[in-house]
Amino acid sequence: MWLDQNTSYLKPVRYAIGYVLVPPQKIALAPQSVIYWLGDSASSREKLMKQNDQLRSRNFILENKVQRLAALEVENMELRKLLSASTKVQDDVLITSVTAVDPDPYTQQIIIDKGGSDGVFVGQPVLDAHGLLGQVIDVLPFSARVLMIADNNHAIPVQVNRNGVRAVAVGTGSLSQLDLIYVPNTADIKVGDTLISSGLGGRYPAGYPVAEVTTVENIPGESYATIHAKPTAHLDRSRHLLLVFTHDAGRVPPVELWQDKS
Amino acid sequence: MSMTRLFYALGMLFLAFVLEHLPLPPIIDWFQPGWILLVVTVLVLVTPEVAGMWLCIPLGLLLDIEYSAPLGLNVMLMAVYIGMLQLLYRRLYLFNILQQAATIFMLVLGVQVLRYWAMVVLIGDPRPVMLLTPAALTALMWPWVYAVGYVVLQRIR
Repeated sequence: MWLDQNTSYLKPVRYAIGYVLVPPQKIALAPQSVIYWLGDSASSREKLMKQNDQLRSRNFILENKVQRLAALEVENMELRKLLSASTKVQDDVLITSVTAVDPDPYTQQIIIDKGGSDGVFVGQPVLDAHGLLGQVIDVLPFSARVLMIADNNHAIPVQVNRNGVRAVAVGTGSLSQLDLIYVPNTADIKVGDTLISSGLGGRYPAGYPVAEVTTVENIPGESYATIHAKPTAHLDRSRHLLLVFTHDAGRVPPVELWQDKS
Repeated sequence: MSMTRLFYALGMLFLAFVLEHLPLPPIIDWFQPGWILLVVTVLVLVTPEVAGMWLCIPLGLLLDIEYSAPLGLNVMLMAVYIGMLQLLYRRLYLFNILQQAATIFMLVLGVQVLRYWAMVVLIGDPRPVMLLTPAALTALMWPWVYAVGYVVLQRIR
């Protein structure tokens, strides 16, 4: 146990045993897949046509936005060149599905259907269509375990989209709330502000939406404000997720530089 | 050791792993008895010539990987559980089904407490562990699992 926790010698053993777990996992997930398949197959023609129309109009709007985004990206690159700053490249992503949710009420973890064979690595950021969802904490050959941002062992550096104020958002164990810690009473954060990942720490790429501020309390006499935020990602509903392959994402400095020596 | 019994024992363990993985709808997601512990109990009681202490290594390692626990934690817990079952073997055989369920409740509770202590002492991770719910659900499921397991394993004796 000590070896597994403190060294990487047993990682190949862990990875190899993962192959043995594949058959029971696949069989256990078969009823769920059948239910999803039946649900999709049983949709009426009228419902499908309506959905198709909605998707077509949404696609049209998104295409329009992408066109504007392409122009903005070029403009952004030119401005960065003028400032002699490095160019930000677009992130590569891999689509994955949620196969199981950890039933332990004291953790907020999910299992996804992509693993080491797809290039997934520990520390990799995971997104859904609405924002940052969490990071990979364990990789098996055909599956991986994701720690969601709402887990109370999780913290993420964020900044306010409006003015760039930095803070740390920690999970509370509730899927609908994050807390901002060590924010001074004087900080300019308001209800409704969008918090985006700041990229500090090197684990998450910068610029992805994380949460929206729901309450700000400034208690006289206290050094820090009490700020709650609601994650923008649909932590309890999203079935399809994105694994981000950014150059710097998921990489942290060597353990000896940041681990507590006491 | 009969090969047929070994085959059935492995089949039951495979089924237990499937049940452990089974995703449940949110309304009943609290219903998570220790399926593997239940099947191990049946095997140790009904087929002691097949199922013994050796089971703790493969099963423990598989559970460690499944729950992303430190490698060896579930091996240790499984060894304690099987060891206690073997110690209580004669008494359990004489007990009625309610007394058996109560004993299993205490054993699973003990395993959960050990899990918590091991996480705190060895890893320094004071993450809370569910104590009563898994023990109560495992004890509740025991009569049914024992009845099915007993019938299956006795039929091939």
